[in-house]
Amino acid sequence: MNLDFLSAGAAAADGAVAHTPMEAKARAAGARFELRDGWNVAHAYAAGAEEEARAAARTAGWADVSHLGKLELQGPPEELDRIASECGAELRLGEAGRAGDAWWCRLTTTRALVVCEARVSDTLRTQLAQASAGAERVTVTEVTTNFAAMTLVGPQAREVFARFCALDLRPGVTPVRALRPGSIARQPGILIREAEDRYLFLFGWATGEYVWSVVADAGEHLGARPIGVDALTALPKAGGVGAERETEETLSA
Amino acid sequence: MSRLGTQPGERITRTRKISFTFDGRKVEAYEGDTIASALYAAGRRTFSRSFKYHRRRGLMCVAGQCPNCICAVDGAPGARACTEPAREGIQVTHVNAMPSLEFDAMRVTDIAGGPFTPPGFYYKTFIRPRRLWPLYEKVLRNVAGLGKLRHSQPEREWRTEYRRRHADVLVTGGGIAGLQAALAAARLGADVVVADEGPEPGGQQLVQTTPQRVRELAELVREAGVEILTGASSLGYFDGMVPVWQGDTLHQVRARHHVFATGTIEQPLVFAGNDLPGVMLSGGARRLAALYAVSPGRRAVVATTSDRGLDAAAVLRDAGVEIAAVADLRPEVGELGRQLRAAGVPVFPGHTVIAAKGSKTVQSAIIAPVGGGDEHAFDCDLVVVSGGAIPASSLLLQAGAESAYDPARGHFALGALPEGVSAAGEVTGTGSDDAVAASGELAGLGAAHALGLGTDESRARAEELARRLAEPEDAGVVVAPPVSGEGRGKCFACFCEDVTSKDVHLSIEEGYDSIELSKRYTTVTMGPCQGRMCQLPSVRLMAQETGQSLQAVGTTTARPPWVSVPMGILGGRPMEPAKRSAIHNRHRELGATIKWAGDWRRAYDYGDPAAEALAVNQAAGLIDVSTLGKLIVRGPDAGDFLDRLYPNRFSNLKPGRIRYGVISSDAGRIVDDGTICRIDDETFYVTTTSSGAGAVEEWFSWWLADWGQRVSLTDVTQGLGAVNLAGPKAREIMSAVCDIDCSNEAFAYLDGKQARIAGVQCLILRIGFVGEVGYEIHFPSAYGEHIWDALMEAGRPHGLKPFGLEPQRILRLQKMHILVGQDTDSESTPFAAAMPWIVKLDKEQDFIGKWALEHYSHQAPAAELVGFTMANGDVPTEGAVVVDEAGTPAGQVTSSRHSPVLGRTIGLAWVPEALAHDGAKITISDEGRTLSAEIQTKPFYDPDGEVLRS
Amino acid sequence: MSFLLECPNCGVREVTDFGFGGEVSARPKQRPSFRELNTYNYFRRNVAGVQREWWFHRSGCRAWFIAERDTTTNEVKFTALPGADEPAGEAAKAATAAGGDLL
Repeated sequence: MNLDFLSAGAAAADGAVAHTPMEAKARAAGARFELRDGWNVAHAYAAGAEEEARAAARTAGWADVSHLGKLELQGPPEELDRIASECGAELRLGEAGRAGDAWWCRLTTTRALVVCEARVSDTLRTQLAQASAGAERVTVTEVTTNFAAMTLVGPQAREVFARFCALDLRPGVTPVRALRPGSIARQPGILIREAEDRYLFLFGWATGEYVWSVVADAGEHLGARPIGVDALTALPKAGGVGAERETEETLSA
Repeated sequence: MSRLGTQPGERITRTRKISFTFDGRKVEAYEGDTIASALYAAGRRTFSRSFKYHRRRGLMCVAGQCPNCICAVDGAPGARACTEPAREGIQVTHVNAMPSLEFDAMRVTDIAGGPFTPPGFYYKTFIRPRRLWPLYEKVLRNVAGLGKLRHSQPEREWRTEYRRRHADVLVTGGGIAGLQAALAAARLGADVVVADEGPEPGGQQLVQTTPQRVRELAELVREAGVEILTGASSLGYFDGMVPVWQGDTLHQVRARHHVFATGTIEQPLVFAGNDLPGVMLSGGARRLAALYAVSPGRRAVVATTSDRGLDAAAVLRDAGVEIAAVADLRPEVGELGRQLRAAGVPVFPGHTVIAAKGSKTVQSAIIAPVGGGDEHAFDCDLVVVSGGAIPASSLLLQAGAESAYDPARGHFALGALPEGVSAAGEVTGTGSDDAVAASGELAGLGAAHALGLGTDESRARAEELARRLAEPEDAGVVVAPPVSGEGRGKCFACFCEDVTSKDVHLSIEEGYDSIELSKRYTTVTMGPCQGRMCQLPSVRLMAQETGQSLQAVGTTTARPPWVSVPMGILGGRPMEPAKRSAIHNRHRELGATIKWAGDWRRAYDYGDPAAEALAVNQAAGLIDVSTLGKLIVRGPDAGDFLDRLYPNRFSNLKPGRIRYGVISSDAGRIVDDGTICRIDDETFYVTTTSSGAGAVEEWFSWWLADWGQRVSLTDVTQGLGAVNLAGPKAREIMSAVCDIDCSNEAFAYLDGKQARIAGVQCLILRIGFVGEVGYEIHFPSAYGEHIWDALMEAGRPHGLKPFGLEPQRILRLQKMHILVGQDTDSESTPFAAAMPWIVKLDKEQDFIGKWALEHYSHQAPAAELVGFTMANGDVPTEGAVVVDEAGTPAGQVTSSRHSPVLGRTIGLAWVPEALAHDGAKITISDEGRTLSAEIQTKPFYDPDGEVLRS
Repeated sequence: MSFLLECPNCGVREVTDFGFGGEVSARPKQRPSFRELNTYNYFRRNVAGVQREWWFHRSGCRAWFIAERDTTTNEVKFTALPGADEPAGEAAKAATAAGGDLL
C-alpha cells in the first residue's frame, strides 16, 4: 500500500473530475467552468476575462485557485535546503521563493509547503520524491486537497483583507514575496504576497464556502467581484518582477 | 429657527435646509446642525428626563459627554442629540418619560419619593413580599432606564464594518496637540492615524475666534499622509490595540506607539438645582454659539473657578447674551475680570452659585460668597458654569498610566506613562495654546524616535521643546467646594444616575466608605458619562465626608468603553467559521436536516432517522464521515511513537491491518478514540473522532516536540473525504464499484485496502462502527460528490439509503460503541468504560497514562459504563440520574435511543460497580419520572460480532 | 487580553492566533509514586510573575514553542523553539532558586 489516495488531479484519477469546495459559490455568482488538468476550473464569469481584469485593477477581485497543487515536505532543515536547491529553489522562513511555477514556502525549520500550478503538480511530486529518495527522514506528502486557495487582486485588496484578517499587510511589513502564515477569517491560513496588489492565500478545504462568503461580504462593499483564473493572467504576475522574467524564459525556451 | 449672525467657525450651511421630526413634530435644521442645536434653535429646552427622578434635563456639555440629551434616533436608543448630526427625515424620540417629555407622570418620584428613593432603594423597599419581586421588577424596568431596545433590527442596519488598521502611531484626539503630534511623526516617516470625535479635527480651537488656523494645520497633516478619522471615538486600550468606533465601522487600530491628546473635560459645579435646563457648562454655551450660531440664552449668570468662565462671559456677551453677573471663585479680580467690569459686567470675586431656580427652566440664580454671606439673586435664563477641567485621562489610565491628586490644579493629574504611550496637550496639564502645540509636537517626535525614525535635527528639536515645557505654568485655578447650597434643593453629583450629594453622604454612613464601594452602591460614575461629570465631584464629597485626602480616596478604575457604544458595533462582521464536507451539497439536495456538529455542518438525518437506521441493518446505508480526524504518521519511529501515545500496541500491527485505539491522558483518562491502519512499515493512517481532530493533532505534535523521534505528522482531515458504506448488501455494492476482490476471504474485517472507485484512488477500511459489514472509504476531497454519486448509483438496486448522524448514533448504540465525550467524561478510564482489554500494561516501553492506568488496574472502579434496556417503550433523557434504593443519585444515563431493529429502548449508563452485571435492575429518575431498566453488558445487536466479521 | 506573541517561525501575531499549552512542567523521567503522579497531573505552580509556558501557533505554522511571560502584565520576555535555542530565562532561574520543580 502507499499514499496515492491523497492525490488529486489528472494523473490521480481515471477520468474523474476534481471539484473545488467553492465551486457552488462560484457557479451561483455566474462562473463559467472548464476542465483543466483534471480540475473543473472557474475560468471566467459573464463579463469575460478582460473586463474582469480591468474591474479588478480598479477595485479588487477574487478568484478560486484551489486547484493549485500543494506538496508538503518534512525533514531535517539541511535536507530540506538541499532538496529545494536541487529544484532551483530556496526555503526561507517568512519569505516565499518562486521557482518552477511554484511557491516554495518554509513554514517551520522542518516543514515546507510547495504550491504549484496544477499542470506541473505531478512533475514536481516526482522531482521531490527523487530528490528525497536517499534521505531517511524526509517525507513528501500530497496535500492539494488539504487547502483551498484564493487569489485576491487589486488596489483595494488590502482593504478587503483588513475586514477579516489581522495580518499586517502594509508594504513595509509585508513586501512582495512575503510569506505570512496566520489567522484569516478566524481560520488557520497561509498568505503569500505574490506581487504588488496580489495576494494568494490558503485555508482549510472544508472552509471553502465559508471563506468565500466572508470575502464576498467584505469585498462587495468595496466594489470587489469574483473573477475567473483567466483574468489573473491579465493582471500582475505571481512572483513579482523576478518570477515574471523566469516565466518568460521558460516560455521562450 | 432663531440664529445669530454668521460666526467665523460655524459648522452649519445656511443655504441647505433639512428637516427631521422630534416626537413626531417637524423640526427645521441646517445641514451641519446636530439634532440638539436645531432643537435648541427651535426653542426646546428640555431634552430628556432623568434616570430616577424624571427631572427635566437640558443641554449641558454640548460635546457628547454628559447624559442630558440622550435620545433615540429611528428607534435606536443611546444617541447624544448634541453630537448626533441632524439628517433629513430621521425620527428622533425622547427616552425615559411617560407619557411625554413635557408631562412625565413619574415626576412623582422626585416630588414625593425623595426620602423613599435613597441609593439602593430597590434592595431596601421592594423585597417584601418576595413573591411580588417579578412584578416589582417589571414596574422598575419600565420607569428606569434610558430607552427601549428594539426587539429586531433590519439585517444590515447596525452591522459593523470591522476594519483592521495597523499603524506606527495612533493619535487619539485631533485638537492642536494631536494634530501637531501627527504632523511631527508623519514628517519623520511614521505611518500615522488620527482619531477625533468631532465631525472635523480641531478640537477646542474650532470654537475660538480663529478656527482657520487649526483647519490649515489639519490640511498639512493630511498632506503628510496621515489618515484622519473624524467622528471616531477611541473606545479603550487593549495591550496596544485601540478599537476606534466611527459610524458603522469599528477600526481595530494596532499601533506601535500611542499618543493620547484627549484634552480635558470641563466640570460642573455641585449646587442646588444644578441640573435645571439652562444650567450649562461654559464650553457647551460657547459651542452652541460658535459652531451652530445658536444663542444659548438671553440673560446669563456665570459661575467659574478659572479664566475659562470669564472667557466665556466675554464671548457670549459679544454674541449678544446679557451677562447679569459673574461669580468668580477666586478672591482676586484678574485681567479678564477687570476687562469685563470695564464693559459694565458685575464681577463678584470669591463668590459662587449656590442655587438655580425655576420650574421648567432656569428663571433665576443665587450667588453668594464661598464661606457664606450676602446673597445676590439674578433673574436669568442661563447659568454658565465652569468648575475647572479634569484631564480626559481614562484611556491613558487603561494603558497603565499613573495618576495622582494635584492640589494646585484641583484634579487628578497624570503621572508616569507606560512604554509606547505618550500624552500631549491639555491632558498633560498644559494650558496655553503654545504649550499645547509644543507638547503635541514633542509627543510626535518622541513617538517617531521611539520607532527608530528621526534625524539629529529632530532630536535637537525634541530636546528644545522638552526644555521649554519643563517651565511650570500657572494653573490659575481655585478649587470649588464639593457642594454649595445643600438644603436648598437637590444637588446632583451624578446626572446619569441621579445621585445627589446627600446620597453620597448616606452611602458613606451606611458603610460604603471607599470610592469603589460607593460606586457600586450609588452607581455614581457607572452611567453613560462614565465618570466624566461625576468622578471628581463624588471623590471630593467622599474626601470631605471621611476626612481623607483626595489622594487617599483615589479614583475608580478606568475601564473600557470610554464612550457608550451600541452592542452591535462590538459584534462585528458575522464570521462564524463553518466546515463543510465535500459532499455537503448532496445532503442539501436530499433535504437533510443540517445541524452543527462541533465546527462542522453535518447531515443529522434525511427525514426519518429510524427508517435510515433500519435500512442499514436490513439492506445498506451510506453516511458521510468526512469529519473524522485523519492523520498521517510517517517515519522510521512511527510505530514506536504510537506505542508511546496509545495504551495498546501498534508497532506489531501488520501493513494492511487496522486496530482500534483509545488515547488516554497521563492521568489515565480517555481523551479520544479511533482506528489506525498501517499503510506500510513506516506509515500509519490514524483516524480520530470528529470533534477531537484538532486536539489530537496538537497532542501528537506536542509530544513529538518533546520526544523528537524520527516521525513526520500530516493532518489530512480536510484533505480527505470519507463515507461509510454499511449493511448486509454493502459487499455487493462494493464489488460493483471497485476494482478489487471484496469477498470476506480477500478483504476481511479490520483489513485496509487501496482500490479505485469510479476511477479515484481510495483507501478502504473494513470496520464496523455501526455493527454491519462496513467499508469506510477515504478519498481526496475533490472527488466527494463523484464517489457519493457512484456509490448511490451502484446501491440503488440494493436499496441503499443515505443515513445521517442520528441514525448512526442509534446503530452504534446497538453495538455499545462508545462516543468519547458523550459516554465518557474527564474522569473516565478505559477500565471503567469496559475496555480493560485495550490497556497493554505488559508493553515494554513507557506510554502516556501508563503509571495511572497501572494504579487503576488494581482498583475496582467505583462506577462502570454498562448497557441497559427497557421493555415498555420509555426512552430516558440523556443525563437522567440512576438512583439507588434510597433514591440517592448513583450514576447517570449517557446515551439512550429506541432501537428500531430490536424494538426496545437501549442505552448506556454509568452505574455503581455492584450493579454492573447482566440482569441487574436499575432505577432511573428522569425529570420527575421513575423508570426501571435492566443491565446488559454485551452489545444489544450481534453480541458476538458474527455479522461484523461475515 | 489582546497582546502580541512572536512565533519563532512566523513572526509577530495577535495572541488569538495561538493556543495556550499551559506552564512547562517536566514529565517524570521514571515511575513516580502515586502522590508524585498526581502532583504532576493536577498541580500547577500558577505563579504571579514570569513563567515558562507552551504555546501553539494554531492559526499559522502549527508548531509548538516556548514563551516566558509575566502572568501579571502579559509582557512576553521571549519566545523560542523548544530545545537548543531556548534561553535560560527568568522563570527557569526562579524555579531553580525556589528548589526546582514541583516534583
